[in-house]
Amino acid sequence: MHLLLVGISHKTAPVELRERLDFQARGVEGALRAIGARGATREALVLSTCNRAEVYAACEDLSAARTDLIAFLSEFHAVEHAAIAPHLYELTDLDVARHLFRVSSGLDSLVVGEPQILGQVKDAHSAATTAHTSGAVLNRLFHSSFAVGKRVRTETGLGAGAVSISFAAVSLARKIFGNLDARNVVVIGAGEMGKLTARHMRSQGVDRVTIVSRSMSNAARTAEAIGGASAAPWEDLDAVLGASDIVITATGAASPILTKARIESIMRARRSRPLFIIDIALPRDVEAAAGEIEQVFLYNIDDLQATVRENLARRESEVTRAETIVGEEVDKFAAWLRSRGAVPTIVALRQNFEAIRRSELERLLKVSSLPPESRARVEEITRLLVEKLLLTPTEQLKALGDADTPASYTEALTRLFALHAAAPSSSGDAESPRPRVVEGPFNRSSSKTGS
Amino acid sequence: MQLIPLVLYVTAFAAYVWHFAKRQPTVGRTATTLLVAGALAHTFAIGMQTVAIGHIPFAGPTSAIGTFVWMLALAYLYMEMTTEERAMGPMILLLIVALQTIPVLRPVIEDRDAVLQGPLFGVHVSSLLFAYASFALACMIGITYVLLFKEIKAKHLGFFYARLPSLQILDSMNQQATILGWVFLTIGLIVGWIWAVQAPATDPRVQAMQLQDPKIFLAVVCWAVYSFEVFGARRIGWGGRRTAYLSAIGFAIVLLNFVPVGYFLTRSHNF
Repeated sequence: MHLLLVGISHKTAPVELRERLDFQARGVEGALRAIGARGATREALVLSTCNRAEVYAACEDLSAARTDLIAFLSEFHAVEHAAIAPHLYELTDLDVARHLFRVSSGLDSLVVGEPQILGQVKDAHSAATTAHTSGAVLNRLFHSSFAVGKRVRTETGLGAGAVSISFAAVSLARKIFGNLDARNVVVIGAGEMGKLTARHMRSQGVDRVTIVSRSMSNAARTAEAIGGASAAPWEDLDAVLGASDIVITATGAASPILTKARIESIMRARRSRPLFIIDIALPRDVEAAAGEIEQVFLYNIDDLQATVRENLARRESEVTRAETIVGEEVDKFAAWLRSRGAVPTIVALRQNFEAIRRSELERLLKVSSLPPESRARVEEITRLLVEKLLLTPTEQLKALGDADTPASYTEALTRLFALHAAAPSSSGDAESPRPRVVEGPFNRSSSKTGS
Repeated sequence: MQLIPLVLYVTAFAAYVWHFAKRQPTVGRTATTLLVAGALAHTFAIGMQTVAIGHIPFAGPTSAIGTFVWMLALAYLYMEMTTEERAMGPMILLLIVALQTIPVLRPVIEDRDAVLQGPLFGVHVSSLLFAYASFALACMIGITYVLLFKEIKAKHLGFFYARLPSLQILDSMNQQATILGWVFLTIGLIVGWIWAVQAPATDPRVQAMQLQDPKIFLAVVCWAVYSFEVFGARRIGWGGRRTAYLSAIGFAIVLLNFVPVGYFLTRSHNF
């Protein structure tokens, strides 16, 4: 069984093409059924996000499956093959595992380390499970990818730190105040920037947002547009600031509206309660010296941008550690895949031994008249004998280290025990005359795939 | 007897430092497990000493330090389990290890003098030891508060920013530990004063129990500092970093009173 991946991502395709190949729009389940109906793959899974459209498959014939999946992409999305081909990437076997592990850990994301992708990978697997198109190989591959994503998240700093200005501001507010639910947020300025910021604060769970503007009608309009916010007149600014915890200033004033002296006077009434001021106006609304006041935390747009840059640099420095984890997990998956290659031989060997045991048992029972309890005892002893004889060879075969040795071992076992003759259902594969014992979801239940 | 807890505290300290640096959950759980093992071994050691001498070993400075370390380990474990926060672990364990080396290097169990019989003495010492353990926690929480405060104020969000809880949580934990410590310090001082009044005046140590005695003087200064922190500081706008500094100053006085003054300078408390 081989692994195959065909897809496009933000690294290879422009947004226009990604939009046209978006599986979410046309339905992932329908796509999975359509792939199954084509019959070139044994298992299939579609991962579709705004940054990638990928089809993962397990197949016997790589070449046929590759041609079929490319044709499927073109037909399903009604996009000419020539438009897709230059942007497609195709990966096989362990390269597929490495790619998926990098994707689920955020290494392949537009913003390195972003956390949403792991959830999207889980959703994709869940959809394939529901559509019965994911079998033993893809299930194992995707479960391993969840573990890799979790390991990278807990063992490295790849996902640490906010990487957008708005999240950097919210993350700072949380680091100062803890829970933001009961905090008072004041937005000074009723323009577009103020409105956006207030909306973002509301979406982060802040209940109390007050808009203050020189024009009360503008403030009221903005508060209404945001929903759940209130407006206050410009004259009440000092009183509103006295009761606030987080202040966002976004006015178009030519000179600072909050001077150090004004904030000092506000802070006296607040005693020791901290005040977090985010100045996103240009020119700045708050005198830089106000940041020197005890318990005042003043950040302007440049400070937040610098924080974002630092976080991105820190994430980049964690990439090597994350890649090491991915490498380790690919090795583990490769070992599983190799052990899986020996499974048909092991099963055939067991069937062979079992057949011998049964035939000898029948012969014995014909020539001797054993009481029922003795027959059961002999049955049990011979079964245990076969189990014990086969235990070590089975373990050794599963644990073979490199990629070539299992093939020579299985070949030797097949010849020594004449397994192809003993096994009732041979796969007919010229390279490995082994019985087919593992079925994919498509050939197991073809009716479910609509074929 | 005191060596096994020390060894476990040292390994727990190493695990807490590792966890703080690498933030691996399994290392964090290992650190807690090692500390629990250390505290249990310490409980066993103190229990054995109690059986041997017939009372809890806190009459002399060495025994008192051993019992203080044990209380601090238990208080920290309680705090960690209620807040699920291990960030203070390295600093608390550093203090635990440093102080636990004293009973290990000087393995004496001071016998209780005849003058120290009675329940008031037990209440006095156990209240003060518990107060000191609370102040130690408040001090370490205060130090972590200052480290985080400085990073946010300097707009350089780095090592501590990624590892410590919010300033609000640290401030609230510091406040709770200080209030608890202040209550027990007050009880300990009042009970100690009542005990001194009714103690036989013929004993020279009882005669030395005056405000001029360095141990008593520093205990009163300590009470004044913590009283100001609990009742006055926030009213005059001394919140956050300044109260954190007060916690550190208060505990520095506690340590000064506990170790050098307790061993070398006091005439009233050399039992």
